[in-house]
Amino acid sequence: MIGVVALVLLAIFGYSVENFTPVLFMIAFVIGVILLYLAYRRVDDFIEDERSTRITEKAAMRTLQVFWVCFCAFSIMAVMNLLYMPRFSREFWLNRENDIVPPELMSLKIIGYIQLALLCLMIFLYVGFRIYYARKYGDWETDEE
Amino acid sequence: MKNKIKVYRAMQDLTQEDLARAIGVTRQTILAIEKGKYVPSLDLAFRISRYFKVNIEEVFTYEEGVRTVDID
Repeated sequence: MIGVVALVLLAIFGYSVENFTPVLFMIAFVIGVILLYLAYRRVDDFIEDERSTRITEKAAMRTLQVFWVCFCAFSIMAVMNLLYMPRFSREFWLNRENDIVPPELMSLKIIGYIQLALLCLMIFLYVGFRIYYARKYGDWETDEE
Repeated sequence: MKNKIKVYRAMQDLTQEDLARAIGVTRQTILAIEKGKYVPSLDLAFRISRYFKVNIEEVFTYEEGVRTVDID
């Protein structure tokens, strides 16, 4: 299910980039997450209990602790740079089919990419912390029964 | 926190999977508790002891001054 949703989202992402329809991808992303959540609720086997919840909580908390420092530092720098930028030109948005990005908006583009990279960092951080705490709370322990 | 879950399981000839299913957790959780990697909540500790029909202190023993994994 996760794979199917990811593939569909990837296709929509490609379409959105080609046709400059970011709203379409945003809506598709939210729908995808809701679909996964609904599918997850239908699972009636014990795949989650208080220990796994605790692992998730701790991993999420640590991720947030590290991430907000990185994100805040970058955002402060970005906002300070933006304050020096000339006002956004209305012409750019009216003539955006020309695909010409005015030089003053290039840094905005870079900020967007860096924010995306930071979000990726957040995911990696979360996965890393999750593995760490899962190991700490005995997820890969084996027993002779 | 020490526990005698393994002993009680052996007495009743239960596997970790059986116990886990009976009290509504995953097998990994039972394994982690038995190995002292995870300290269960009070609720889960009561459920385990009630399943074995004994008092909670017969299954779980608190050791003074022993730092558990769950604290940090």
